[in-house]
Amino acid sequence: MQLAVNIVVLSAIYALIACGYVLIYRVSRVLNLAHGELMMLGAYLLLTTASLFGGNPWMAIGAALVLSLVVGVLVYVLLMRKMTGEMVLAAVLTTVALGILLRGVMVLIWSAQQQYPGQALGFSNPALVLPGGARISLMAALLVGVTAATYLGLFIFLRFGRWGVRMRAAGQNPLLAAQRGINLHAIYALAWGLSTFTGSIAGMLMALDSGLTSSMMIIGLKAFPAALVGGLDSLVGALIGAAIIGASEVLSIQYIDPLLSDVIPFLVLIVMLVLRPWGLFGTREELDRV
Amino acid sequence: MRSSMILAAGLATALVTPALAQDAYVVGITAALTGPPASTYAPAIDALRIYIDRVNKAGGVNGKKINLVIQDDSAEPSKAAANAKKLLTQDNAVLMINASLSSTYAPVVAEARNAGVPLLFASSVCPKDVYPPAKEGQFCTTAFAATYDSRASLAFIKETAKEPVKIGFSAMAIPLSRGEIDFAESQAGPLGMTAVDKEIIPPPTADYTPFATKIKDAGANWVFSWAPWVTQVRTFEALRRLGWTGDYVTWAHLEAEGELKRIKDSKLYVVGANALFEDNLPVQKEIAAAVKEAGGKYPAEQMTEGWIAGMVIEAAIKGAGKDANAAKIQASMQNLKVDLKGLRGGPIEWTKDNHFRTKQFYRVYRWDGSKIALVKDWFAYDVK
Repeated sequence: MQLAVNIVVLSAIYALIACGYVLIYRVSRVLNLAHGELMMLGAYLLLTTASLFGGNPWMAIGAALVLSLVVGVLVYVLLMRKMTGEMVLAAVLTTVALGILLRGVMVLIWSAQQQYPGQALGFSNPALVLPGGARISLMAALLVGVTAATYLGLFIFLRFGRWGVRMRAAGQNPLLAAQRGINLHAIYALAWGLSTFTGSIAGMLMALDSGLTSSMMIIGLKAFPAALVGGLDSLVGALIGAAIIGASEVLSIQYIDPLLSDVIPFLVLIVMLVLRPWGLFGTREELDRV
Repeated sequence: MRSSMILAAGLATALVTPALAQDAYVVGITAALTGPPASTYAPAIDALRIYIDRVNKAGGVNGKKINLVIQDDSAEPSKAAANAKKLLTQDNAVLMINASLSSTYAPVVAEARNAGVPLLFASSVCPKDVYPPAKEGQFCTTAFAATYDSRASLAFIKETAKEPVKIGFSAMAIPLSRGEIDFAESQAGPLGMTAVDKEIIPPPTADYTPFATKIKDAGANWVFSWAPWVTQVRTFEALRRLGWTGDYVTWAHLEAEGELKRIKDSKLYVVGANALFEDNLPVQKEIAAAVKEAGGKYPAEQMTEGWIAGMVIEAAIKGAGKDANAAKIQASMQNLKVDLKGLRGGPIEWTKDNHFRTKQFYRVYRWDGSKIALVKDWFAYDVK
């Protein structure tokens, strides 16, 4: 039972991070390699708001979430917008540069030491005992619930929301979408905002569960295979990909060798790239365009 | 007229700059101030900077100031190599400091050796070349010491355990941590302990619970972890969340004191070579006051490692005399004894053959329910 809980928790972490990669790629074909850093920035923003609104943790969390959304929009408006019309590779390299910049800035502002936003907010993180004797920390359970809610919210938004439909249209055919009066810059900014928002939620919950270090962004990179295995333009794919990567990682720790857990996600990715390069739920046309 | 003034100003600058440089001993530092392991190294360098600033304010050493030139290498060997080359050839450092991952050592050692400049490892793990018989030119002030730390920790477990010890091990998947835990595992049997599990955990890991699950399921009643703090503490906390009630022994990194206060678990023991600030020694009060005055980014309790490095650098340059150059500083370091005023169990003492220390002292602390308490006072191993 504990094994199943461990798989669900790790898969939820990867799924919550991976949906950020998908949101931006699906709309703008840009692979955001600064997603891990933006996720970590969200966690550091929570640390700051926790010290500002120490007496009101919910206000601190709300402020951090709003700030992370704004950061995502600003990244597009101030940086990625300039890449419009340029080669996709240029935009991807810009995100690499952004990641390096963010890493340095975050250490300068918040230092390199381990931080605990949960402590600053006055949250405790007790273990919950599940049927079967398995245990899960409160924050990990919350992360699983938030991941489910986030995916559900995104499905509803993209399927039924006016801006969601516009996002899908912009992703499928930007020229036609623009001719129909859709403001592409607004759509792209929204995608960056939502991607940073969901990534930040992942960063915040991980930081609340086990603390925050300046190496958190590497976890963002470990979630990348989940998005690729599922198909970079599919949210369902990201969810399934995260489950596959999470399960293979936990099972390798349990039954093979803990060291393999670092390699397994990329082994799965290589197998997927050989067998089905566009991922489980990705569309072949998208890959051809890349 | 105007061009003459510019020329004069240029000449004046050219004349004054070397004079200023000659008035200071240049100490070059390549350190992991950013990057994944920065939390171990950045506080030490901050402390060193604060210490040297104080020395300079008090008139310097031998009437000259010490000019610290600090370069970030992000724990990347290529950057460390470029830093070392720049510090040695452009800044003309008379002493090099490495405060970074062991993967950066080879290029920095090579550059320092070629330039004939002594190299001090401060807060980074001591390489085997500083232990007897030491290689020329490499020295180390860092508290932790491979194999000695495991011996001390296992000896503590053996004398503390009231029932047969079934021990689990936890390491980070980096060569140094793995090597030490492999060594500890090999020592467990001869000490009458049963090694039940060993987890080598990749850095960083999103969730430590799968690793902790294995340790718990293996039936460990003691766990020893020797790794960067993040791996040590997250494995412990994951174990506790799984309902594990055993005893956990781990290395007292810079973060240990603050973390003992945060976690408040009486079965979490930290074994270390530095005195914790709970001791409230005069020198610790001095450090706390200096950090406060300098507006340091890190808590005073994380400053010990860098402070000790500062004391040693000051003593080494002082011992080399007014005209200290790289060769004289190296000679001074080969015959050096620095009283650490209680920050450790004994002095830093270097000889021609031993650039580590002649005795390695340890203490064990834990949370006793209301404060950090000393569980075992200084005990030592001869370094041969």
